[in-house]
Amino acid sequence: MDNKELFARMEQSVINYDKDEAVRLANMALEKGIEPVAAINEGFVKGIQVVGDLFGREEIFLPELVMGADAMTAATDILGEAIKKSGGKAKYLATGIAGTVEGDIHVIGINLVTTFLVANGFNIKFLGTNVSSSLFVDQAKELKPDLILLSALLTTTMPNQKEVIDSLKEAGIRENVKVIVGGAPVSQDWADQIGADGYGENAGAAVEVAKKLMGI
Amino acid sequence: MIKLEERRASIQPIKSKLKISILDDGDIKKINQTALNILEEVGVVFPSQKALKIFADAGAKVDFEKKLVKIPSHLVTDYLKKAPRRYTLAGRRPELDAKIGEGNGTYFYSSGEAPSIVDFETGKRRPSILSDVANMAKIIDYFPIVSLMWPTVSAGDKGETAPIHGVEACFNNTEKHLQTESVMDEISAKYTIEMASVVAGGRDKLRERPVYSLLLCSIAPLAQDRGGIESALAFAEAGLPVGFMSMPTMGLTAPPYQAADLAVGLAEGLAGCVLLQIASPGAPVFITIQPAVINPRSGDYMYGSAFSQITSAAAIQLAHSNGLPILSCANFGGSAYKLNSWQVGRENVYVSLLAVMAGADMSFGPSSLIEAGSLLDMSRLPFDREIFQSIDIITKGIKVNDETLAFDMIREIGPQGTFLGQRRTAEELPKLWPPSILFEKSQVIGEKYRDAEEVAHEMIDWVLKNHHPAPLDEKVRQELRKIVAAADQDENLKREIRGR
Repeated sequence: MDNKELFARMEQSVINYDKDEAVRLANMALEKGIEPVAAINEGFVKGIQVVGDLFGREEIFLPELVMGADAMTAATDILGEAIKKSGGKAKYLATGIAGTVEGDIHVIGINLVTTFLVANGFNIKFLGTNVSSSLFVDQAKELKPDLILLSALLTTTMPNQKEVIDSLKEAGIRENVKVIVGGAPVSQDWADQIGADGYGENAGAAVEVAKKLMGI
Repeated sequence: MIKLEERRASIQPIKSKLKISILDDGDIKKINQTALNILEEVGVVFPSQKALKIFADAGAKVDFEKKLVKIPSHLVTDYLKKAPRRYTLAGRRPELDAKIGEGNGTYFYSSGEAPSIVDFETGKRRPSILSDVANMAKIIDYFPIVSLMWPTVSAGDKGETAPIHGVEACFNNTEKHLQTESVMDEISAKYTIEMASVVAGGRDKLRERPVYSLLLCSIAPLAQDRGGIESALAFAEAGLPVGFMSMPTMGLTAPPYQAADLAVGLAEGLAGCVLLQIASPGAPVFITIQPAVINPRSGDYMYGSAFSQITSAAAIQLAHSNGLPILSCANFGGSAYKLNSWQVGRENVYVSLLAVMAGADMSFGPSSLIEAGSLLDMSRLPFDREIFQSIDIITKGIKVNDETLAFDMIREIGPQGTFLGQRRTAEELPKLWPPSILFEKSQVIGEKYRDAEEVAHEMIDWVLKNHHPAPLDEKVRQELRKIVAAADQDENLKREIRGR
């Protein structure tokens, strides 16, 4: 199998929502000494673009989108490790970190946002739920993401979105990232009030906002 | 406008002559067995050391590290036997008591707690504040169709103690039974139980006549919230009723099948009930399963869906087969993301009709909520009231006797006559035409009826200006104020909520 065929299979594995195959092909690429950045950009990213387009045209539903993103993420996790070791960088539209703020364990919304962004060519690290402001700041310092996505589903935890933004200011890195907030009780007014850069009413809107903020 | 008169609070459950069964005996057995298998083999996460210890001491299999509890079937069955099928959700007066399990029909709740409100004056959306909770409690006090209440919106201006302020606002503005679904930590629970005790006239009296109760939502699939479960233990200890709500979402937090949703939801509810029966045997408990579907393109949450609501109604048979009362079907204002749309009306009719016909002990009903429970529009209550009026008429069935067969009238008038000018018609016809916001005569030439939304707004305006809920004793009010002020100063409470 030449590289071109391998890349085509990688693309197809995401289109087929075949996680096992995607992982197998990622490992094969490393064994063959193929540049992991090329495997991501020429193979898997093309697959997720197809899946994202199908979803955008309403030809497939969310479960397929999630399966496609899962296959993509499983493969890029393997390749990403190799890239990190070699000091290279894959080409993503933008990078980000995402999580639900401290005191709040709601996961579904932020999971969907992460999936939507991955399916649209973003590289998002999901930090989980009940994430402290200090963890957001530490991760922002370490990974230097373009975006930080903060979810809050309770009126009592919404103020922690502001706390993250304030902590970023204190750490002197607020200007380096764009902050997008979301969650059921969150509104554009709230986003403006706490000095966020954007507000996404749902996962689809979050992608649009992220693209706009990144000038894409 | 419909003629309104100042009156004291009253409640009106709806009892249906029309009965439906959704599951047959075989179905019930299979779903119950699957729920037991889930509890025994898969388990439920209880992230509370207190709860884990209670389970372990009673003989359940507890993994303290994973916070996972597996409950053998015989324990579930034994402890459920201790749960009462009949008890009272008390109002401040016995006339306002919801007597659960006594065959009075379905008691309806106003639900909540929406974070936003349509401002009554400007008609614009804004975050809700404490005075909104008070105003809505007053409206609920006035309308008999609301038997039980949650604070309908949250006191968004009160930070961590918003739920406690909400409880105070409700106690001050309605005599009806109050249930909270936002007091989700042990410290807040203790403050509000103390408030209820002050209202009832002491701890023993509160136990006798629980004017306050709790509903907590599990985290689907198969997990509980630490703060919520510790709050529930405190409520049960004080003799206050506790409901366990499961909200499985088909294909997201539960398998994409209605039967599986029922099994998962039942397992979550039973696990909570068993915990409370171990800790406080005989504690009044109930369950509710409120499944939802998502829009598979956007992920938007929809519980008005017919798939969801028939599943919620089916849970009634499951709860009753386990000897538990149940709250079923959620008229949370439809899934529509638009004010007063056709979709809201459509959903609110079948949701509540199903609850009544399937024999729910309680149901989420006239709440004035829209947009899937996230927005309160007080002017919607008269619309909800109309829906319930129709449901009451439909489920009462038809009276058949000599008088209503009226053979004498038919013989007298005979073929081609008219019944309009008859004394009996004069007496009966108004009963077939109950007051409605839909048929107010318009003063505008060319317009037959007034805009119903305008009429509804006027009704609520009248209630806000003219209804005066029976006030609490001034000493009681002051005592409540003191407790809330103490909660506001409690740093432990703030830490507990922030770190939850």
